[in-house]
Amino acid sequence: MPRLAPSLFWRARREISPMAAQLLPACRDLESAANELRWIREYVQDTKSPIPDELRIWRLVEKRAKGIPLQYVLGTQPFGNLEIKCRPGVLIPRPETEAYTLHLATLLSQSHPPPPSLTIVDLCTGTGCIPLLLLHSIQAALPRTTAITIHGVDISPRAIALARANHAHNPPPSPFLPHHTLTFHQYDIFSPTHDPNSPPDKPHPTVDLLVCNPPYISPRDFARATARAVRNHEPRRALVPAPPQQQQQQQRADRYAAWCRRPEDVFYARLLEIAAYARPRRVLMEVGGWEQAVRVVGLVFGKQGEGGFGVGGYEVEVWRDEPAAGDRGERVEVAGREVVVRGVGRGRAVYLKLAED
Amino acid sequence: MLAAPWVCRSCVRSLRRAGVSHFVRRASTESPVTLPSALLERARKLAAEHDQLSAVLENDFDAKKAKRAGEISRVASALKELEKAKAALGELHGLLESNDAEMRELARDDLEATNAQLADSSHNLSMALTPKHPFTDMPCLLEIRPGPGGTEGRFFADSLFHMYKAYCSNKGYRTRVVQYEASDSDGQTGSEGEIPLQEAVLEVQEPGAYGLFRGEAGMHRVQRVPATEKSGRTHTSAVAVWVLPSFPENSTSESEADWDKPESDFYIDPTEVRCETMRAGGAGGQHVNKTESAIRLTHIPTGTTVNMQDSRSQQRNRETGWRLLRSRLAQQRREAREEAARQLRSSVLANSQITRGDKIRTYQYQQDRCTDHRSGLNAHNLPDVLRGGETLGKVMDSVQNWLINKDIEALIADEEAAAAPKKKKGR
Repeated sequence: MPRLAPSLFWRARREISPMAAQLLPACRDLESAANELRWIREYVQDTKSPIPDELRIWRLVEKRAKGIPLQYVLGTQPFGNLEIKCRPGVLIPRPETEAYTLHLATLLSQSHPPPPSLTIVDLCTGTGCIPLLLLHSIQAALPRTTAITIHGVDISPRAIALARANHAHNPPPSPFLPHHTLTFHQYDIFSPTHDPNSPPDKPHPTVDLLVCNPPYISPRDFARATARAVRNHEPRRALVPAPPQQQQQQQRADRYAAWCRRPEDVFYARLLEIAAYARPRRVLMEVGGWEQAVRVVGLVFGKQGEGGFGVGGYEVEVWRDEPAAGDRGERVEVAGREVVVRGVGRGRAVYLKLAED
Repeated sequence: MLAAPWVCRSCVRSLRRAGVSHFVRRASTESPVTLPSALLERARKLAAEHDQLSAVLENDFDAKKAKRAGEISRVASALKELEKAKAALGELHGLLESNDAEMRELARDDLEATNAQLADSSHNLSMALTPKHPFTDMPCLLEIRPGPGGTEGRFFADSLFHMYKAYCSNKGYRTRVVQYEASDSDGQTGSEGEIPLQEAVLEVQEPGAYGLFRGEAGMHRVQRVPATEKSGRTHTSAVAVWVLPSFPENSTSESEADWDKPESDFYIDPTEVRCETMRAGGAGGQHVNKTESAIRLTHIPTGTTVNMQDSRSQQRNRETGWRLLRSRLAQQRREAREEAARQLRSSVLANSQITRGDKIRTYQYQQDRCTDHRSGLNAHNLPDVLRGGETLGKVMDSVQNWLINKDIEALIADEEAAAAPKKKKGR
């Protein structure tokens, strides 16, 4: 981290406020220090407390100056038109996630004719931001006859508690909307759901959309490429894929690792295994950058590993940071096949769509 | 030895000035409106149309026709009043020539009142004929920006911002601060704790606010000794105020609905706007957790840009950014049209168009005076003006009157310009 020039502190103190100078080491530039100070002030003015406002502002600034992310300090993060509660131990929703979630919602609500039922599964749900925003965005667009079922899954009991709190915190905008159920389950997605060697005997309920924002940072990148506030204050388990805890899963974990060769891609191997089994209509997986996106597309086409799962039959797209910008004619060739690239920005997600749709 | 007692020079001067009226400004004095024949003809035509429409409407109702009739009913009634006053005047003139002395006396008494009535009704008629400004019924956005120059203008921009805010709260108009940005370059505060303002946008959410604040657009000049000035010199600086029409946020009025129509001033083709989110370099995604909610919208054909970073929510920033962009473009389009219309009639009409470049008002601190250069009104309670009190209301009202008179003049000029080629053809 480069050193901040003393003149910057001097300017912050003179031009904005001494508290902005205090925030400077955490914010790194004048503009965001001024913005964050203003947001802290607005938060204090909007919430009531017997403690004097100045003291509360000072305490919050003190906390933020220690490097704690602003979202944990204020306890919330806007996500679409929702306000998502944030607590230490659960990953903070990111603006890129917001962008592709909103784009997914427009895709879902554009389907003609409107489906009689819609089932969405969000794995590694964290704060529950993706299912909540999807629900709020598609509810108004779909007819009342559509029954919406959404499941959010996470391994962390803290995340599940927070997701439920967020569900209560963001009630549906109007009661005259399609019927919906939104439930959160604490569950390890690596625990065996079925024996992959025997074909499924009972018909599965169709999943219309499988979303996942898995941990995707390699241990090396975690130490080098992440921001200090992320490294020191956000849960490592939400960022870096950890080896399975239980002994009996060791063998399976080894298989995934062998299949994808990179420790940070383990979750995608498991996600594709689930996709091959449950055959959801659409799959969206957030990725950490362009190289990872290309690796995941390679996994989908099944050329890299020897696992041999058939995840064929899907049309594959790579989405950049702003997928709403649309198809600009960009294509990338992976394993001899052309893949559509949507939007502008960095490679952010891999999107699969069942070809028969 | 002097015969007269000694009198100090300034007293002599003030005595000499008493009763002399050639320093009084007359820019605001209205000339009695004499309606040109072209205008009267048009009014008669509209009144005839109104009669015809109301005859049709008696038999069967048609929403479109009823709307049109409602629009021109004002003209018809004003014309009727004018004709009545004219008829009364004719009668009075007849009586003035009668042989009865008593009758003549009575007629002379009535003459003045009838003349006043005539002037009144002709003014009413021309007002009814003046097309209403299309944005009049809308809420508005007040954009305040300091002119080029030092911190003094920035401090005064802040004073103006607070003045308008206080005025709105005194009048009970709902307001919302859309943007309020202090400048980066200076740290001091002004004599009354103002901050150096870079840009502020205040939304007045009252319907009809655009009509009320329309006259505030332009350069506001301030003359005072700044707090930072050490040798006591008076500085002159300027602050630009722009008044833009704004859409009511949550209403389903027709004006709201029509911004999707290409013929609306507020219409923007979404493909012509480049939307950029300001994100830091690096990997993004899970790697960083900084709040990066700033949005920049660029309207490519005109190069108009809007930056929004007020809220933590990117979506909120995007929405306010779009609204601001719509308002700015609508104002630009309107101004371009007005400019074209002005050039059409430039042969007839003097340069009365207000653009944002003209100096419209001066706030003189030493003389405790606020002068509007268009209506020529001098208000002598500057602190009350800056508190947004009644005095500011008076100044704004005088500008409103001036604007209406200008509109009427423009209308008359337009009618004459339109009538001129016809006459030529006739010859």
